[in-house]
Amino acid sequence: MPLKTVKKDAADALTLEWILHVKRYKLALDKMRCVGCQICSLACPKEAIKIEKQPKVQGQKAKKALVDIDLEKCNFCGICDVSCPYGAIKLTLNGEHVLSVLDKESYPELIRDIKVDTHQCPKDCVECEDACPLSLIKITRVGYDGNPVEDVATLPPSQRKRVQINLDIQKEYCPTCRVCEFKCAPGAIKVRKFIEGKIAIDQKKCPDGCTDCLDVCPITGALYLSEKDNKVYVNELFCDYCGACKVVCPVDDALTLKRTKIHHTPVRSGAWNKALEKLTSPVGTVKELKAHSSQKAKETVCRRFVCEEEIR
Amino acid sequence: MSQPETPKQSENEELRIGVFICHCGLNIAGTVDIKQLVEYSKTIPDVVFVKENRYTCADPGQEEIRKGIKEHKLNRVVVAACSPRMHEPTFRRTVSEAGLNPFLYEMANIREFASWCHPSTPQEATERAKDSIKMAVAKARLMMPLQTIEVPVTNKALVVGGGIAGMNAALDLAEMGFKVYLLENTESIGGHMAALDKTFPTLDCSICIEGPKMVDCGRHPNIEIIANADLVKVDGYVGNFKVKIRKNPRYVIAERCTGCGECRDVCPIEFPNEWDMNLGTRKAISVPFDQAVPLIYTINKDYCIECYKCVDVCGAREAINFEQQPEEVDIEVGAIIVSTGFDVYLPYDMPLLGYGKYPNVITSMEFERLILAAGPTGGKVIRQSDGKKPHTIVFIQCVGSRDKNKYPYCSNFCCMYTLKHVVQLKEKYKEDIEVYVFYMDIRSPGKGYEEFYDRARQNGVNFIHGRVGRINEDPNTHNLIIRAEDQTLDLPIEVEADMVVLATAAIPKKGSDEIARILNLSRGADGFFMESHPKLKPMDAPTDGVFYAGACQGLKDIPFSVSQGSGAASRAATVISKPKWKIEPIISVVDESRCRNVTAKCGICEDKCPYGAIKIEPNKPAKVITASCHGCGTCVAECPQDAITQLHFTDAQILAQIRAALEENPEDKILAILCNWCCYAGADLAGTSRFEYPPSVRAIRVMCSGRVDRDFILEALRLGAGMVLIGACHLPYDCHYISGNYKMKARTDALKNMLTKLGMSPERFRVEYVSAAEGIHYAELIREIDEQRKALGKEKIKAENAKLRSIIENMLRRKQQK
Ligand SMILES: Cc1cc2nc3c(=O)[nH]c(=O)nc-3n(C[C@H](O)[C@H](O)[C@H](O)COP(=O)(O)OP(=O)(O)OC[C@H]3O[C@@H](n4cnc5c(N)ncnc54)[C@H](O)[C@@H]3O)c2cc1C
Ligand code: SF4
Ligand code: SF4
Repeated sequence: MPLKTVKKDAADALTLEWILHVKRYKLALDKMRCVGCQICSLACPKEAIKIEKQPKVQGQKAKKALVDIDLEKCNFCGICDVSCPYGAIKLTLNGEHVLSVLDKESYPELIRDIKVDTHQCPKDCVECEDACPLSLIKITRVGYDGNPVEDVATLPPSQRKRVQINLDIQKEYCPTCRVCEFKCAPGAIKVRKFIEGKIAIDQKKCPDGCTDCLDVCPITGALYLSEKDNKVYVNELFCDYCGACKVVCPVDDALTLKRTKIHHTPVRSGAWNKALEKLTSPVGTVKELKAHSSQKAKETVCRRFVCEEEIR
Repeated sequence: MSQPETPKQSENEELRIGVFICHCGLNIAGTVDIKQLVEYSKTIPDVVFVKENRYTCADPGQEEIRKGIKEHKLNRVVVAACSPRMHEPTFRRTVSEAGLNPFLYEMANIREFASWCHPSTPQEATERAKDSIKMAVAKARLMMPLQTIEVPVTNKALVVGGGIAGMNAALDLAEMGFKVYLLENTESIGGHMAALDKTFPTLDCSICIEGPKMVDCGRHPNIEIIANADLVKVDGYVGNFKVKIRKNPRYVIAERCTGCGECRDVCPIEFPNEWDMNLGTRKAISVPFDQAVPLIYTINKDYCIECYKCVDVCGAREAINFEQQPEEVDIEVGAIIVSTGFDVYLPYDMPLLGYGKYPNVITSMEFERLILAAGPTGGKVIRQSDGKKPHTIVFIQCVGSRDKNKYPYCSNFCCMYTLKHVVQLKEKYKEDIEVYVFYMDIRSPGKGYEEFYDRARQNGVNFIHGRVGRINEDPNTHNLIIRAEDQTLDLPIEVEADMVVLATAAIPKKGSDEIARILNLSRGADGFFMESHPKLKPMDAPTDGVFYAGACQGLKDIPFSVSQGSGAASRAATVISKPKWKIEPIISVVDESRCRNVTAKCGICEDKCPYGAIKIEPNKPAKVITASCHGCGTCVAECPQDAITQLHFTDAQILAQIRAALEENPEDKILAILCNWCCYAGADLAGTSRFEYPPSVRAIRVMCSGRVDRDFILEALRLGAGMVLIGACHLPYDCHYISGNYKMKARTDALKNMLTKLGMSPERFRVEYVSAAEGIHYAELIREIDEQRKALGKEKIKAENAKLRSIIENMLRRKQQK
């Protein structure tokens, strides 16, 4: 049987498949992890991903936008997999997670720079585990005898000191929001956001009582409702600049979101430059290219856009 | 080349017609009274010299003609003898040797059409012969000198389709010293053969024998391969084709690509390889297979993500250019060979077989890629569902082929390739594999083929005579249950298999309609290209200068495709080896002053010409491409303005023949207009076979029934003809000019309708189809018509004619005024 292409849309996952005689490509979107931001659709070189805003029901919370992938256009390159801040998309070949765009350095890996020094952790602290809005942190403790310790408080103080703390972060799903870092009083966790940017809400433009952005924001605390005027405000500290809020905001310009820099492994790749352009802006791209003194690539970007002075 | 003018007869030329009457031994003289003919001929106006001969075609007879022309200053010659289909060329030569234009001579057929078919009524036969001479003289009076047309020839050829057939044609022509353009629309030449594993019946490796030929094509100084390109337009005519080709972008500059493949290694993107029947993948920058010729990489922009890794690795060679655009090139050639091959049917629309639904049901072409060592599985025959080697494989023949609802024809090579597959399996896996073949018939008529069938049987393959009804899948094991009827035992049979291989029909190549349109080719009911004559011109297309090779003309295996490739090359060489190409000047010419298209939108002739030989541009008179015109005269009969004339078969000439034929006792006569290739030949055969029929018929020869103008019929009826017969080639495919008979039918159907409404008995005007082999049919037909004529009676005919006359006269007059 020749190429069979399959698309399945289930409640918890959207899967696309190419089934060849000895190869089976599968792209799976985990709908539980997907937040409806638009990063994948901006990064996709084939423009195969559409973000579909969900209609709002009066009196209910806004729903996150849904992601749809076009089987005709998708070429199973896995760039969406690499780009998703939440690790919601996975590409597999014969069941194995294979990303040849990374292997061939055709696309960079996002750098999730998270440093943990568990020596500084108070032996019974679980602040970060509780704080992680995506429940990606798991703390485990091991006693002097190598056995897991359930409750530190039950141990005698001498043994308490010798308890070792393991802090396991599921990095591949981590959007680097830094919530854990701020919740950690002793400063045992250091997180650098892989996307830098700016977000602002012009409350004057917000319709009364609208909390759509807040409804869909996956990071607790990045947005909050002010008791003063019952409007949504930004706590830029925690924002990961995914843009899920921007997608649902019903008013033009009420919410502005700009990504200015993305931390990634070094590559020379046209596909990345294009994605970068769309994720940040031509300015951002040129800045990055300038930094890497990639003159040729810079010219192609400039050619595609009417270049503002700033870029030159 | 300029358009020939409508030649005008010089007004003041005095007509001096010589009539030469042949005895043909006793063949004519035994029945027809030659003396009467001689005396009668002398009385015909403008005849200045009459001479009888025992054998006019023999040297002394020919000498008499030459002498007559010289001594009596003859400027027209009529030879009353056998059929013009026999000796017209002989006497054309004779008169031209005497300095007379060969088109100033006409033949009266008094043997096949008189002495031989009316032996028991010699006087009537003589009367018919007299009329024949009178009709020939009537035409001769209006004949004009014509020059054989010569066109210069471009000594190059184009081969469209680089499969094994096209490659062979190209190599042969190149070896003869001609420049050949080999056009291929995919990335590489090679065709289906390059994708096969082994070839029957010798089981030699396909690419091992084809690869060197591909390389030869690539290297030959006389061959220019234009791959990844489409045929866009062909103008011109035999010897002088102007061809437009569009080279599609590869995004790799052909001249710079060294074929190293480094780009492929760095490219991160894979996509299903169509060349591999989508069983495997290829990179976004790649060649479809390693032996590709020309070895130029191609980027598939549908899948490429533009990471430019390939650009980086290509480096200083700078072979990659993402901005590449399609490029049009113009070439000129003298001959074209079409060798576009076939496609393989994918039976998605036969749900009972489960193809596309059950993973372990595949086609034979897919099987080729599975068993091929260089294929996507490395030559392992494994199942798609679990990657395991199957132990029982069922082959099913004639999937889609010989099926009235799909493709009624036999696909020619499926039996043999299935035998190949089963022998390969049995010899590779021995006892480890059980093989069944369900077949309707095993057809193995080639050299060494029946022996190969024996080899399969000796290997213990189970051959079951029967058609498969349906295939079901066990959803757990993905095994397949095949239900069929064993026709030998007349019992239902069920077989469980791990894998099913469908020998699916080979079907006309996608895009054949486009090629047919561009080159003015016709296709048969099966969709394959139609040859000019199925027996004698199997490689000639109806368009002069275009030839066929390989499976595009009809399915054939590799040895036959190769032979036909060489055959087509030699046919093409008959054109391009000449400095000039000669064309009989019986073509159509347009009287520009009468063409309606100058003032209004017409173009009927362009539409009706079976050869695309007429070109219409807005507000300009129609133009005949002389070298493409085959001289059927269809356009002449169709032109509402009578603006087109067919040289040597002008309206005036044919009308003069009709008038001469019906001068006396028209009601007693059957006026017949017969096409040269079928009905006239059939009537000749009736004569040579001595089938006797009534002598009341008077026959006029036209090249094609498409030439039969409505006016001819109207004029015959106006003059009082008893019966009118149009004799044509059988529908649908026999017409020598593709479709002249259809156009005549459409035209005459309407006319007949009208005439019967006006009170004519329908049997008085008949259109009949008689082949060159149906002499007996012709004789019976004339007998039948004559019976009908008698049954109607002269008085009734006269009365009908009287009623019709004024209307017909009106119609003819109206036309003349236009
Ligand atoms: C499964 C299978 C197994 C077979 N096994 C055998 C075997 O063992 N032995 C044997 O003798 N025969 C075998 N055959 C038959 C064999 O494949 C054909 O006889 C042979 O390929 C015919 O050659 P061709 O050149 O006429 O056509 P093709 O091989 O079809 O080549 C036609 C070429 O023309 C090109 N083309 C088509 N349209 C255009 C266009 N519009 N413009 C430009 N180029 C065009 C195509 O791309 C192709 O390259 C097998 C066939 C099948 C399906
Ligand atoms: S630019 Fe396209 S073809 Fe070249 S390496 Fe990247 S994906 Fe492959
Ligand atoms: S219709 Fe026949 S006679 Fe007329 S131009 Fe075409 S080929 Fe010639």
